[in-house]
Amino acid sequence: MKLNVNGVERQVATEWRDESLLTVLREQLGLTGSRFSCGIGECGACLVHVDGVPTNSCLMPVAAVADKAVLTIEGLVAKDGTLHPLQQVWIDENVPQCGYCQSGQIMKALALLKENKTPTDDDINRAMSVVLCRCGTYDRIRKSIKRAALFMSREI
Amino acid sequence: MVQMTRRKFLVASGCVAGGLTVLYNLGIRAAASAPTIIFPDERSGAAWIQIRPSGACHMYLPRQDMGQNANTGLAQIVAEELNILVADIIGERPTTSDVPPLAVTAASMSLTAFSRPVALAAATLRESLRARAAAMLGDSLANILDDLGGFRTANGRKVGYCELVSGTGVVIEFDDTKSPPPLYTFDPSRQKKQIGHSVRPLDIQALVTGAPVYAADVQVEGVLYGRVVQPPVRNAHIRSLDTQGVMQTRGLVKLVHEGDFVGVVCKTPSAVDAAIAQIKVTWNLDQPISQLAIDSLIDVDAEMMDGDLEHVLQDEAHRDTVDWDIDLRFEVQVQTHAQQEARAAIARFNESTTAHGLEIWTGTQDPWAIKRAAAVDTGLSQDDVVVYPQRLGGGFGGREYYEVERDAVRLARAVKRPVKVQWTRQDEFTASRCRPASTHRLRIAVDDEGNLSDWWYGYVSGHVALARERMAGWLLPMMRLGTDMGVVKGAIAPYAAPHQRVECTDVDLPIDLGVWRSLNGAPAVFAIESAMDELAIQRGEDSLQYRLAQMKGAHPRLQACFERVSEMSTKSLLPKGDNYGRGFAGGIFDGRCYVAVSADVHIDAETQKIRVLHMCCAQDVGLAVNPGQLRAQIESNLVWSIGMALLERFEVADNAIQSSNFNDYQIPRMMDMPSLDIEIIDQPAIPPAGAGEVALIAGPPAIANAIRNACDFRAVKLPIAFDDITANSRA
Repeated sequence: MKLNVNGVERQVATEWRDESLLTVLREQLGLTGSRFSCGIGECGACLVHVDGVPTNSCLMPVAAVADKAVLTIEGLVAKDGTLHPLQQVWIDENVPQCGYCQSGQIMKALALLKENKTPTDDDINRAMSVVLCRCGTYDRIRKSIKRAALFMSREI
Repeated sequence: MVQMTRRKFLVASGCVAGGLTVLYNLGIRAAASAPTIIFPDERSGAAWIQIRPSGACHMYLPRQDMGQNANTGLAQIVAEELNILVADIIGERPTTSDVPPLAVTAASMSLTAFSRPVALAAATLRESLRARAAAMLGDSLANILDDLGGFRTANGRKVGYCELVSGTGVVIEFDDTKSPPPLYTFDPSRQKKQIGHSVRPLDIQALVTGAPVYAADVQVEGVLYGRVVQPPVRNAHIRSLDTQGVMQTRGLVKLVHEGDFVGVVCKTPSAVDAAIAQIKVTWNLDQPISQLAIDSLIDVDAEMMDGDLEHVLQDEAHRDTVDWDIDLRFEVQVQTHAQQEARAAIARFNESTTAHGLEIWTGTQDPWAIKRAAAVDTGLSQDDVVVYPQRLGGGFGGREYYEVERDAVRLARAVKRPVKVQWTRQDEFTASRCRPASTHRLRIAVDDEGNLSDWWYGYVSGHVALARERMAGWLLPMMRLGTDMGVVKGAIAPYAAPHQRVECTDVDLPIDLGVWRSLNGAPAVFAIESAMDELAIQRGEDSLQYRLAQMKGAHPRLQACFERVSEMSTKSLLPKGDNYGRGFAGGIFDGRCYVAVSADVHIDAETQKIRVLHMCCAQDVGLAVNPGQLRAQIESNLVWSIGMALLERFEVADNAIQSSNFNDYQIPRMMDMPSLDIEIIDQPAIPPAGAGEVALIAGPPAIANAIRNACDFRAVKLPIAFDDITANSRA
């Protein structure tokens, strides 16, 4: 079975075909930026994009995404090492504390900004409430999304 | 002898040859803060800062990273003392074989306990380099002036550190008999270049790019996957066990059953889930696990009726028969850590004599305790066990013990292959050691002028530091003769009354208990600040002014926080209407950290929710080494305050922990997040104290007082539900 992750075709070993997408990403492909936290789709730490749709990879059977394009946090950095504008803003605003949820936060924020280039506070609250942060970095995430929105709208 | 011990480590880690190295002692203050944890011998506890021939500064990061970012603050101190930039410091995380034991990362002690030794070490290194510069330039010491990355003379000659370190491995030891070098860090007159500025975590880029930094991210060749059935409480024993279905699980490598330890090792993670689901266990419990059992054990009124409580913390001319103006009972329920990382560990045994017999990768607050425990558990010598500490995805007091590591070690030993164990979220809820439930009786009487005359505060809490299963059973009865540092935290109010008594009793609860952010600080200050607010309201006085007056000038730093937050709160307009309210609360944590918080709330009949709209916080923890980081910790504490006051409800019933995941235990989400206004009161002349759990003492009572202000409902139980308010208004 093959998998398209971050634009690269990857092979999945036979005995791993019954696993979740998250498990295969982490344990087979060495892409450990998506993280396990709740296992029931309540926290978003494992959030990736499948054909552009934000998806909790802990609940997604890997077999179900074989013919789809998977984007993970590792796929956001450009080939020359340049960070994605969202990642750069996350650094500028000094968002992470423990950091465990931040891949999911950034992937969810990316999905939001793709749909809505100028999100209001309410838009952000609604969209981002599916990704939990126990350290409570929400205020900085909110600020970062607004800053990134400005930045990214200029780029597009 | 002591020097030899240190040198052994330095030689082993290959660093002596590297350049000019300075060691520092950890000091005894760390040891005094948490008696339950085996601390390093103060004399042998050493770490190092080193200038290499390239001029690069290497520093062993002495703290476990879990979001508190204390190492960055310590690096700022080194940079300040050495006149270099923080960004130029190369931080290295030592394994348990690189240095003698470093104290557990807990109790917000990192800057308190480490800032001075680190400053002293870096300053000693600087002065040693200055002496070398003087010799090289043939000038007197007094003429060698500080310069960026080196020194300069009055006539403009410059010399960099790299020119002063020739690669001859020199270790500088402290000479206690000499007066210490000047410490720039604690010089209030100095215009600081590194300290007092916001510095990002040294490794922030790794955190936004998904780089492997947590234990479960570590890739070990040939690794298998395992997990263990977690008992509902650690003193439970297996009554019945049915593993019939397990053997048919596809991908099963081994079922491991030793006493009360039952686990599986499989080829893939999903096989582990399937195998564990086939294990049916029932447990024998010492105490039934139910809310009723907890409530009856912590009933402060029943305890106080029986006479004095177990520990009297304050007793000044106490009178028990006066007319009380306030007589309130408060209740705070169990809470859990719920850090985002589901904890993980990897264990690998090695036959080779060149490697350690056992290697453990884990994120823990106390790597050296894990090493000792693993040695005892396996019969290996301590020297034969190495722990590679990884970043923690949140700690909050819940990750000090040999637990997920034990699971990995025993399973790896059983299959003679490396094994990775990651707890499920349900394991986290079941086996994290909770903040105990407690009830509090607070009685206050005032004299004819309205000043406090009598203060009688009694409370009963589950154990914290001296909780069962947190230390050897034989040690407990003896330790419990003294007070539990976690249980007594926050109990002494900042208000003056000529007649005062504060007493408490701590008890075993039927669930596992332990350290949780702020310990008893948040529960106690919730009771104290709610009661004072209620007293002021009943007397028709301004609540904030009344509290300031009742401190009688004894706590100017707390008073300054209150005054500051009062002013800050006026910047934001509270919407008009019956269901909007503003409340204040403040307190002193650990005798050294001062904080005041205001909260604006809306009790929304339409959504049936209590929403915090805005919070202000003023905090003074002494010298603000890294103001940006202090701010981040305050934000975190304010979010936790919302969780504690309004959301987090830990359920137990039917002899089990019922809360199992984020769908049935609500922690704050983005939609719960208010706007924030935060100010840090800097005290350049006062050494820094920890900020990791300070604002959490004031946030919950500020929210409770805001609700009182909005709708006359006095919350006496946390968490507060919307239904509590409507039930009260119906009554």
